Amino acid sequence: MKKSEIKVIVLTGDGINCETETAGAFRDEGVSATIMHIQDLIDNPKVLETAHILALPGGFSFGDEIGSGQILALKLKYSLGVELKKFVDDKKLVIGICNGFQALVRLGLLPKPFEARTMTLTHNRQGHFIDLWVELNVGESCCVWTKTLQQKSISLPIRHGEGKIVFAGNSANQMAIYETILSGGQVALTYNEDVNGSYQKIAGVCDPTGRIFGLMPHPEAAVSNWLNPDAKSKNGSAGIGAEFFKNGINYCEAHF
Amino acid sequence: MSHVYRIEIFPNLDNLFLNTQNEESLKNWFLKYMDVKITAFWEVKTFLVETNTPIPQIADLAAEVFTDTVTECLMTSIDKNQTRLFQFLKSKGFNKPSLIDVAFRPGVTDNSAHAALEALKLLPALANIELKVSSGVMYFVEGENLNSDLLVKMAYEKLANSLLHKVSIVPVTARMTDLHFPNVTIEANPSKTIDLDVDSKILIKMNQENCWALSLAEIEHIKKYFIALKRNPTDVEMEIIAQSWSEHCKHKIFSSEITYSESKNIPAGVKALGDLKINGIFKSYIRGATLKIQEERKIPWLISIFHDNAGIVRFDDNIDVCIKVETHNSPSALDPYGGALTGILGVNRDILGVGLGAKPIANTNVFCLAENNYFANNQISLPLLLKNPDRIKEGVHQGVQDGGNKSGIPTVNGAFVFDRDYVGKPLVYCGTIGVMPKIENNLPTCNKGQRPGDLIVMAGGRIGKDGIHGATFSSMELVDGVPSSVVQIGDPITQKRLGDFLIEARTLGLFNSVTDNGAGGLSSSVGEMAQLTDGAIVHLEKALVKYPGLSPFELMVSESQERMTFSVAIEKSSAFLDLAKRRSVEASIIGEFTDSGVLDIRYAGIPVANISLYFLHESLLPMKLEAHFDLEKSSKHWVTKKITKPKIPVQDWGAILLTILRSPNIRSHEHLVRRYDHEVKAATIVKPYTGSKEIGFSAPSDAGVIWMKPHGGGADNALAISCGINPKVSRFDSYLMAEYAVDEAVRNAVCVGANPDEMVLVDNYCWPDPIPSAKNPDAELKLAHLVRASKALYDISLSYGMPFVSGKDSMKNDFIGKTKEGETVKISVPPTLLVTAMGRVPSLKCITTSEVKNSDSIMYLIGEDLTQYKCAFELAEFYEDYEVTYPFPNLDTTKQIELYRKMHQAFCQELIESSHDISDGGLLLAVAEKIMGTVFGVNLALSDIPLVQLREFFFNESAGRFIVTVNPKNKLKFLEILKGFAVRELGVTTSSGNLQMGDTPIATGAECLSNYKYLVEGLV
Repeated sequence: MKKSEIKVIVLTGDGINCETETAGAFRDEGVSATIMHIQDLIDNPKVLETAHILALPGGFSFGDEIGSGQILALKLKYSLGVELKKFVDDKKLVIGICNGFQALVRLGLLPKPFEARTMTLTHNRQGHFIDLWVELNVGESCCVWTKTLQQKSISLPIRHGEGKIVFAGNSANQMAIYETILSGGQVALTYNEDVNGSYQKIAGVCDPTGRIFGLMPHPEAAVSNWLNPDAKSKNGSAGIGAEFFKNGINYCEAHF
Repeated sequence: MSHVYRIEIFPNLDNLFLNTQNEESLKNWFLKYMDVKITAFWEVKTFLVETNTPIPQIADLAAEVFTDTVTECLMTSIDKNQTRLFQFLKSKGFNKPSLIDVAFRPGVTDNSAHAALEALKLLPALANIELKVSSGVMYFVEGENLNSDLLVKMAYEKLANSLLHKVSIVPVTARMTDLHFPNVTIEANPSKTIDLDVDSKILIKMNQENCWALSLAEIEHIKKYFIALKRNPTDVEMEIIAQSWSEHCKHKIFSSEITYSESKNIPAGVKALGDLKINGIFKSYIRGATLKIQEERKIPWLISIFHDNAGIVRFDDNIDVCIKVETHNSPSALDPYGGALTGILGVNRDILGVGLGAKPIANTNVFCLAENNYFANNQISLPLLLKNPDRIKEGVHQGVQDGGNKSGIPTVNGAFVFDRDYVGKPLVYCGTIGVMPKIENNLPTCNKGQRPGDLIVMAGGRIGKDGIHGATFSSMELVDGVPSSVVQIGDPITQKRLGDFLIEARTLGLFNSVTDNGAGGLSSSVGEMAQLTDGAIVHLEKALVKYPGLSPFELMVSESQERMTFSVAIEKSSAFLDLAKRRSVEASIIGEFTDSGVLDIRYAGIPVANISLYFLHESLLPMKLEAHFDLEKSSKHWVTKKITKPKIPVQDWGAILLTILRSPNIRSHEHLVRRYDHEVKAATIVKPYTGSKEIGFSAPSDAGVIWMKPHGGGADNALAISCGINPKVSRFDSYLMAEYAVDEAVRNAVCVGANPDEMVLVDNYCWPDPIPSAKNPDAELKLAHLVRASKALYDISLSYGMPFVSGKDSMKNDFIGKTKEGETVKISVPPTLLVTAMGRVPSLKCITTSEVKNSDSIMYLIGEDLTQYKCAFELAEFYEDYEVTYPFPNLDTTKQIELYRKMHQAFCQELIESSHDISDGGLLLAVAEKIMGTVFGVNLALSDIPLVQLREFFFNESAGRFIVTVNPKNKLKFLEILKGFAVRELGVTTSSGNLQMGDTPIATGAECLSNYKYLVEGLV
């Protein structure tokens, strides 16, 4: 499929707030990205059939009042559950960033679609929101979104209060779940340092197919080197965050 | 028959063992501030659900909504067996827990409950059942010598606010029984007429009882108007007039006629202004300067200034930019969290409501606060009723954090200013920058276009009793017995939806005009919009309410948040309302704009107000006030205790430097600032902290820089946002205070690359009451300070050629209370002026940050040595044997702006590697700040400065100066550009990471950083 034919839907509404830069990151790579209000998608779910990528951007959906991403997930489950299942079954791509990641987990798309919840994102070890650029290690994984970045060390900003990954059950169970996703090549991204108390410093996880990807750091806020925190590296070149979007689009070009 | 269920969300067994960080900090709080030792503490979130239909399966339904099965479990009032809870309590280390249950009072904005209700309604089983939800928090507490009274005291000290919450101490097992939902039960009173034909004593009494905050002369003016109409006013009319004429809305002091005089013995060095007659400070000095500059410079980029909710300028080829800064001081004194949250959301609405609506792209915030340490360490007891200043700090910070983060607006610039005189009223400044298309749907977006016949639509939040008399209240000093309706909490998600909807509806051309409902509610928003069409009719019963029982006057003046008023053409109204519905924004048509000349308000068909707009907005004559400048007439300071301090360590520059790095006004607040999202929208190029990667970005930036490209602007264009504030100078001279504030703001913006010829200013005054009364004997001096500060703004803005585009004043920042001993005490804030600068960065290559970038670069001081002065404020703060003495260095403003133009040239030619302003703490502090976030050091070479002058050289404070570093290869070009200006070579940067002077070490960068960050904890 040609790049110009690839269609991306970027969700917005109900407190999502990174839709513009997320759509911008896709558009920078030359594809058509539509920012769509959740309600408009509910009213017209067929749109999903023509799309290839669904992006859930960062933000504070429903104010994160009851567990971050929780109500957004409920809303998607009850109003678009069938269509989303088809979207996933059709081997299309999903990315959830920050609050979008939290919603994907609570919706049951990660770490493995349509299975009982074994993983969640909870309050940072520090107990509060934090905005900080952190060093990340892009692991060897099946994630299509990180394909060209694997085994590299990169910098991205984190901006969250609930980014600590925890697994269900006692410590033996937790270890078992972790090892399953690790051996399944699903641990796509880890922090170099323990920045929020996340289990094994996990920052991003994909599903066993590598097509559904959720991450706490914000690649869409690192698409230009002008946005780097380090003055010496500020310049007009594309930032490291752009690679994630490029990889998603490359996959679509090759597979659709 | 109503059914009430209680739902409690506990961690599950796998997550039970650990206390959260929040629980730990609460425990520490009680130990630190109340000397209460807590052995076990547990915070648990609760909900009450009320319904008319029994929901037997509530436990399962609630579990899906409220709990995350990985970490949480749920208990409900249906489950009578509490064995599991007692097991939990045992594992958490409780033997005999007490329980503090905190719930919202009826009618208080409860965001968790709103979200929970929305979530419950998503479940098919509950979609058609009427539900009400309320949220709360319960705390299990165990510790030494706890009793009910102490538990209640602890709750109100830290966990609850008596104006907002109900605290109950209940036995653990009793919490699930006898459940009551906090329903609002009030009854509306019909509108009534008010007899003003009574003597002035009764009028004054009525004024106090009704919270009108009018002067007797104003009431007499109203009386005359209604006598001519041969009727009495209604309560609704009196409320409309009172809020329209409140100081908060009408800015009577800024439009008053002032006679200014000076005492003969003003101190040497203080600028004498002579006798002045000022026909309105705003008109003469603020707008006066701007109009003059606009004319002299023939500036084409001032698009809309002073008359709308924010100032609009054209600093980009594609889009227009607007800016507004507000204060929310009195609400923050009563409820720091709610006050600051509604402050930030309120100024966001100013941006949403400018012209046809702009999109907020950045927030700023400046806090002026006190710190508990000062009072505790020096055994000074606070007057009764004052909140612990540390709680105020935590509250206002959390409010700004939630307001900005949840709205998706980056907080790019700000400051923390500490002074003990802010203990009575904290100052909370919130600013917002927005963008709008120049033209959309063939109309300039900067103009409002309401027309007679347009429908008045209120959208967003609903009206409640909260926020009644906010405008009039903020125009009164803080005293006992304030009605609790003035306090309110913001609802960021409702506002986010409203804001998103507004921009979408604007793009679709669905409305003709919009404004926000801020102070004064509908009265103010409809009243202001009606001025353009010359009339409006409003049917109050059509406004959406939070609960029944509101009287007509309450509907009219309630300041319930998150509301905007739109002017919608009839033919667009169904599309407008349909879009609102699809965006989960509540909207209702409440009336229509007319050209009748009157504000015609009805309730269920019955007229409740009919006032001429001319009378309301034009008829009030300016006040006449006297100002006299005599510093000796200043009232005695409320703290009389002498504070013991050490002596200055002689010539031990390192020891002094490391001490002042820990000063409240200098030390890092990174742990607070990093809780603000400062880069959402992916456009923040210069962030609040900078430095090198190895050290971790901890050095302070001078200003925020926002890239315009992500907002639809030019790809090589950016905006710098900075601030200047210097209240400590007010005690000596407000003229200089204002001059320093402007210069600091401008210099900070220039530092990061902004063009001084494309820069605008915003003024925000927070003053002690300058109106004379028995309680306010030194009002004439306070007014003189106001005149002097304003004259300084006028003078410096003309010299710099920099217009003011927006501003605000808050004039009653005093606290009157009683000490424990029963003595009356008054605490007034120092005259405080915040200046915000917004400048265009014409190319991204002009952007420079503060930290040293390389070794072997030359470090320069741009500006004079100033060793002849004694103005090292931080030395006076810490040491006994130093006193700040007047005069302070003055600015040659004409020369200064030339310097800024030259500096800008040098920045854009990329000749300067790093630049930082010298402000609080002086030169050595600025040098330390430049190296401590990096791996580099500096070797100072100052042999030509006599040793006896080094102290003054290092620590004197002033305006106008920079420290920069320049690559030696650019030295000549750089010096050529700055020819004719004071430039001193300070030394050379090194790779050692140390601050030294020749062979003498002063301090290492690491020492500087660890002292600077000594209170920064819990970052990573």
